Amino acid sequence: MTDWMRRVLESKRAVRERLRTLSFSEKVELLEKLRERSLAIARSPLRQSASRKS
Amino acid sequence: MKATLEIINRMQAEGVIGQYAIGGAVGATFYLEPAATLDIDIFVGLPKASGSSLLTLAPVYEYLASRGYNAEKENIVIEGWPVQFPPTRDALDEEALQQAVETALEGIPTRVPSPEHVVAIALRTGRAKDFARVLQFIESGVLEPAKLDAILGRHGLVERWEQFGIRFLRDAEPSERDKP
Repeated sequence: MTDWMRRVLESKRAVRERLRTLSFSEKVELLEKLRERSLAIARSPLRQSASRKS
Repeated sequence: MKATLEIINRMQAEGVIGQYAIGGAVGATFYLEPAATLDIDIFVGLPKASGSSLLTLAPVYEYLASRGYNAEKENIVIEGWPVQFPPTRDALDEEALQQAVETALEGIPTRVPSPEHVVAIALRTGRAKDFARVLQFIESGVLEPAKLDAILGRHGLVERWEQFGIRFLRDAEPSERDKP
């Protein structure tokens, strides 16, 4: 593993740890935003035309 | 989700469901970083139908339908969130429900299974996303090994745990090539 990749992984781990220590209410707020994004992506015409092609 | 839990708490207060605990990705989020999910799993203890030993979700559906919450496929949409009510199916589920941790979401009381029970249930279920969740729990450091061992032993999951270890944890230590 390169030093660059190691730093990327450490950074990801730090972000995950920060998110993990949020309160349940704060985490659910983020989860609701993630859900809104997922639904918006699913509704996108680009996504729908891609799924029709496949 | 706050409004969804208020409705579920009201169902419990009115005896439609027994104790409940939030499972799935939302329940895991109590211990881990948030992960995208589209629905909420509510594990419930259901009262038995009168004159029958069968557990039924009919009272849940009837209660919610009478308040304008309708079923969509296997979910019931409550205040914007699709909710599934998987009933407890074995002793592990029953124990997870009984020993669930009390918490609150924006002041609304609710319950989530212990992290060790979440891991045991994930091992039992055994899909790729369940294994990924087990790895997240291990990495998070929230598990109590003795408690997990006891649960796995009580519910016949030791062999699955060992297989999981062979499959996913054997190479967890960095190899010589990966060391700086």
